Amino acid sequence: MLEQLLIFTRGGLILWTCKELGNALRGSPIDTLIRSCLLEERSGAASYNYDAPGASYTLKWTFHNELGLVFVAVYQRILHLLYVDDLLSMVKQEFSEIYDPKRTSYDDFDNIFQQLKKEAEARAEEMKKSKQVGKPVNNQLGRKQGQVQNGIADGGNKKKSGGESGNDGRDGDKFRGRPLENGNLNNNHVGKGEVPATGNANGKENGTSNTGAFDVNKLQKLRSKGGKKTETVVNKVSKAVAEPKKKITKKNRVWDDSPPESKLDFTDPVSENGEQNISAVVAADQGESMMDKEEIISSDSESEEEDTGKDNKTDTRKKGWFSSMFQSIAGKSNLEKSDLEPALKALKDRLMTKNVAEEIAEKLCESVAASLEGKRLASFTRISSTVQAAMEDALVRILTPRRSIDILRDVHSAKEHGKPYVVVFVGVNGVGKSTNLAKVAYWLLQHNINVMMAACDTFRSGAVEQLRTHARRLQIPIFEKGYEKDPAIVAKEAIQEASRNGSDVVLVDTAGRMQDNEPLMRALSKLIYVNNPDLVLFVGEALVGNDAVDQLSKFNQKLGDLSPSPNPRLIDGILLTKFDTIDDKVGAALSMVYISGAPVMFVGCGQSYTDLKKLNVKSIVKTLLK
Amino acid sequence: MDEEKMEKLRIQLQQLLNETQEFVQKIPPMQLYAAIGVVISTIFLFLIIRLFKRKSSNTIVLTGLSGSGKTVLFYQLRDGSSHLGTVTSMEPNEGTFVLHSETTKQKGKIKPVHIVDVPGHSRLRPKLDEFLPQAAGIVFVVDAVEFLPNVRAASEYLYDILTKASVVKKKIPLLLLCNKVDKVTAHTKDFIRKQLEKEIEKLRASRTALSSADITNEYTLGVPGEAFAFHQCYNKVMVAEASGLTGDTSQLEQFIREYVKA
Repeated sequence: MLEQLLIFTRGGLILWTCKELGNALRGSPIDTLIRSCLLEERSGAASYNYDAPGASYTLKWTFHNELGLVFVAVYQRILHLLYVDDLLSMVKQEFSEIYDPKRTSYDDFDNIFQQLKKEAEARAEEMKKSKQVGKPVNNQLGRKQGQVQNGIADGGNKKKSGGESGNDGRDGDKFRGRPLENGNLNNNHVGKGEVPATGNANGKENGTSNTGAFDVNKLQKLRSKGGKKTETVVNKVSKAVAEPKKKITKKNRVWDDSPPESKLDFTDPVSENGEQNISAVVAADQGESMMDKEEIISSDSESEEEDTGKDNKTDTRKKGWFSSMFQSIAGKSNLEKSDLEPALKALKDRLMTKNVAEEIAEKLCESVAASLEGKRLASFTRISSTVQAAMEDALVRILTPRRSIDILRDVHSAKEHGKPYVVVFVGVNGVGKSTNLAKVAYWLLQHNINVMMAACDTFRSGAVEQLRTHARRLQIPIFEKGYEKDPAIVAKEAIQEASRNGSDVVLVDTAGRMQDNEPLMRALSKLIYVNNPDLVLFVGEALVGNDAVDQLSKFNQKLGDLSPSPNPRLIDGILLTKFDTIDDKVGAALSMVYISGAPVMFVGCGQSYTDLKKLNVKSIVKTLLK
Repeated sequence: MDEEKMEKLRIQLQQLLNETQEFVQKIPPMQLYAAIGVVISTIFLFLIIRLFKRKSSNTIVLTGLSGSGKTVLFYQLRDGSSHLGTVTSMEPNEGTFVLHSETTKQKGKIKPVHIVDVPGHSRLRPKLDEFLPQAAGIVFVVDAVEFLPNVRAASEYLYDILTKASVVKKKIPLLLLCNKVDKVTAHTKDFIRKQLEKEIEKLRASRTALSSADITNEYTLGVPGEAFAFHQCYNKVMVAEASGLTGDTSQLEQFIREYVKA
């Protein structure tokens, strides 16, 4: 049964709740829905799962964009109610007829709601019966991303966490043997194959409702997962991608007529306590780091126009000029999805030419469509300009950091507690971790903070020397143990050394690794688990395209899954590198922020020490939509 | 060549002048004076209206962290009750109305107040900049119960507001409102004020050369060398208590009426 159905305004006032479903909701599912889904521009998704101690709900919602109302239905996740979508749309219709902006109490709606609910339930019952009698419900909806889903036509596309696959009462008797591959967030598989001819109308698992990319729901679930090790039970019909079946161990490469292998480690034997700096090299002082220079935002007036933006400026779309002009003057009544399609498609293509990952652009467009459907066009505006304004709004909202990114403040507060502030740099091969680590160290040094480097890249030849050179130039201590050591242990000892010699910040460099290399990801998650750093910084290059989505989601997933602790540490921030190499194709920033929810803390824009900036949200948005 | 052109222009201007002079002389003097009079008086009127508009803005902005109770306070001021409750706001709530408690007093016509409730969620912060320029007063709502876990975020937000150019230049008064004082575990307003002063002091130290992502702190707060205190700000900062749920908003209304004359 429905737990609750709420109607509230976008401004936050609750207009109506169903009084007879009086059970109070445990936790605060509505607030969480708003914060992590609707405000994160994921409102195109079909449903949202909420877990609180003692309750797990699924929420479905719909908007009435013209009146600025939101309708949310909450029900227990183990129940699979089919009529919710139906009910929501009917409620929306009925309520919009009696809605009045001045009124704040709608008690008369109770009766109407009862009726609607009965109707919807009756209809669902009928459909269930007809389906059980008839043919198999094998709706294969081909999704754009090329993933096939099982769908029940009338809604009830629910995502079920694999953790409960054994416990579901309804399913238990029917589908014991249809476990879902849990940890695989890409959800590339669908439990199909053995879809029964009995057309199981409820309780059918649909692999994805959110297709493909990383799910913030799962992200939160990962955080709250109580030590529950996920069983990666592989589905028979598992589609493509992801986990390598066998562990790939690295073997030394053998060339044909190779000389016998000799020891290839040429590092000097190092002392136990790390090297103090005996520089013969002049310390690097290249001036003020660009972090502290203020961004000169060109054309401030333009940004103000964008703020107030209904009447928009130069839109160069020539399509159907006359009809769109006519419509804009007349002010067409409500926007339909079909009207928004061409404008959205054009916007999506534009985003993709700016190097935004394809699925991110897709999701963003869906979210913007959800927020514009049914809205009334103001007169003297074209559809394209309304869509543009809405998209800009959404982009600014995504790129604005959710939490403070003031590292100096965090460093100071860690200093007060007497502990060193630990930053770990992770990322795939060749993105610029070591270079940018040095830049961050330079910046911190300029603010009179004692920095120490820890060389935990014990694999790549020359990594330790590289850091040693940086350390010598910057005149800061470096903790190293040479090659072929366990990075987690090196990091631990480095942190102990830092607290002994009074360093405020420890910057830990790790080896680059591909996101689907299981043993290396395991080693990384062990490093993070053992040392519990204050900041896990994912270093990504701005040149990356669609792979950004894969990298970040897999990194987060592996960090969550392979960590033995109940609250795994995930990626806290992003460092975008090689920003000077992309002209205006700045989309990678957007993809990375959207998929992980982590803010961009630094931007590397060159190879010298001063080339470190902060992300200027307004200019990125402007460049993306140009 | 240029000289010739100049000459031609000059001749043309002369001709125009002559023609207008003749034209003007043809109009009867009364009409002329009347026309000039109308033009002058309309200009005068515009100037007066502009002046008045600038002087008395009647906008009060309610801001603060998410979950501090702004939307509840908004509806208390407007309707005297918060109806069925609120959820996290996704959009600002605006309204121009006479405060609910004042609708009972019939002292003749009371000027309505324009109150804006800006969402506190960090992703929606930029919306505040749209409303600040026209504000006659800012109310920064703080949750007195869940104060300590959020003290850092609250102080950062407050610091950002106090260093915005529009606030400093126009000396917009700010009311620090401690909400939810009906709960037993609520902190006192003095405690809250002191904690915020301490946190802002720390922020001052770490923000001197820094500018955050796209908000530049154009001004610095306080007096260098001394610990920060609210009375050092250019604009007036006051502290008060309120309780949204029970409807105890008298101090808030006092502040509003102080800066938006009835």
